Amino acid sequence: MPKPNERLVQARPFLTLGLVVLGWLIIPTIIKGFIRASFFEFTAPVSVSASYARDLQQYWALRLHSEEQLIEAGRDLSRLNASYSLSVQQNAELQSQVTRLENLLRLPSYPGYRSEPARVVRRDFSGWWQRLEIRKGKNYGIPVGAPVVFTGGVVGRVTEVRAFTAVVELISSPNLRIAAAVEGDNRPISYQGGINPTFGPAKGEIEFVPLDVYASDLLPRRLVTYGLGGVFPPGLLLGTVTKVQPSPDGLFKNGEVKLDPQLSELEEVTVLVPTSPE
Amino acid sequence: MPAVPRILLVFLPLALLWALVAQVNHEIAGLHVYLYLPGLAVAYAALVLPQREGLAAVILAGLLADATTPVAFGTQTLLLALAHTIVFNARDRVPRDETVARVIVALLANLGLFLVFSFTQIGHLPSPATAWPRLICDLLCSQVFLAVIAPWFFSLQARVLAFSRDHRGTLS
Repeated sequence: MPKPNERLVQARPFLTLGLVVLGWLIIPTIIKGFIRASFFEFTAPVSVSASYARDLQQYWALRLHSEEQLIEAGRDLSRLNASYSLSVQQNAELQSQVTRLENLLRLPSYPGYRSEPARVVRRDFSGWWQRLEIRKGKNYGIPVGAPVVFTGGVVGRVTEVRAFTAVVELISSPNLRIAAAVEGDNRPISYQGGINPTFGPAKGEIEFVPLDVYASDLLPRRLVTYGLGGVFPPGLLLGTVTKVQPSPDGLFKNGEVKLDPQLSELEEVTVLVPTSPE
Repeated sequence: MPAVPRILLVFLPLALLWALVAQVNHEIAGLHVYLYLPGLAVAYAALVLPQREGLAAVILAGLLADATTPVAFGTQTLLLALAHTIVFNARDRVPRDETVARVIVALLANLGLFLVFSFTQIGHLPSPATAWPRLICDLLCSQVFLAVIAPWFFSLQARVLAFSRDHRGTLS
């Protein structure tokens, strides 16, 4: 049977742990916030330098391309530029029409956004959350809650902004909910990131789908942002609805959304920074 | 060497481990696999170092993990501190000088931490039951990766301790 003194020695680590827990509970939230920000900023240079190293690696890999490949790439780019120039002209024409109609019908104008492209520093895709760290933060005026997009549609929403980096919660993250609509339908439905299976494509889930909306693998429907709440502009692509089935209460349908596979390999995204404060 | 710089010296390999795992997770994100290795951070500190130094280094590692994840600040810190205390309390009953024993302790600590952390987080998910296949797969990959890199990491920590020139005293 251990002596009382031995018992005390055995219990000492747990007493120390108890003191640590007690100390942690006593520390004011503001100090915890400061500690969190300090540790985050401590890690930022590590992630950012790794990202610059990857960029350098990519640069040297590109330097190995032959002149012929560069000429081909230049030719493809000039074709793309020509088609984009046309799109810009059409966009300007549509924008002027929208402004004219807004003035004519005295409608409130859509919120404006400034595009801020940013490199992806770190991907953090676990079963609990799906996040990206980008190489722009307060230094570029990135606000919390700003929508983030890429060529395939919506990436997610900025959840944390630090001095030189910001964290983006992905649309595949189970913690993110967005008001969405099936393209061509003006009724809002609820979108939420789903459980992303190992080695499989990212998925999302939809709820409150009207009963007359149908979709399947053979007849997929595009899911776009609804614009409700003012965070995401309406009409941005979220994914493709590949399955809908009646919900247990029978009033609506639930469904599955296939997200763009490029989401998990993004290297550059664009943050839409609102130009006019609400 | 004064206590605080020594704690920082012990913390350095743990910060390096965090950075390396973050980079590996970045690269394998496309496969939808996630490595979670806090057990490795706990094992050596709890088996070899004196309690205060080990606990302080583990708490710093926990704060680092908490600052970069969307969890209530302190969750992982307290979990790591608890794991450290349990392993520290049991360290006289394991052959802690042997690498194999250290790896096994790290694997068990990682298993426990992963499961407890999953239970703290799974409530936030839309359908918790469907999350387990993914989480179990992540756990398996994490355990395999941990078993592969643990000997190297323990050796690195031992070298760092040797650098602080009083490595012998810590094993008493």
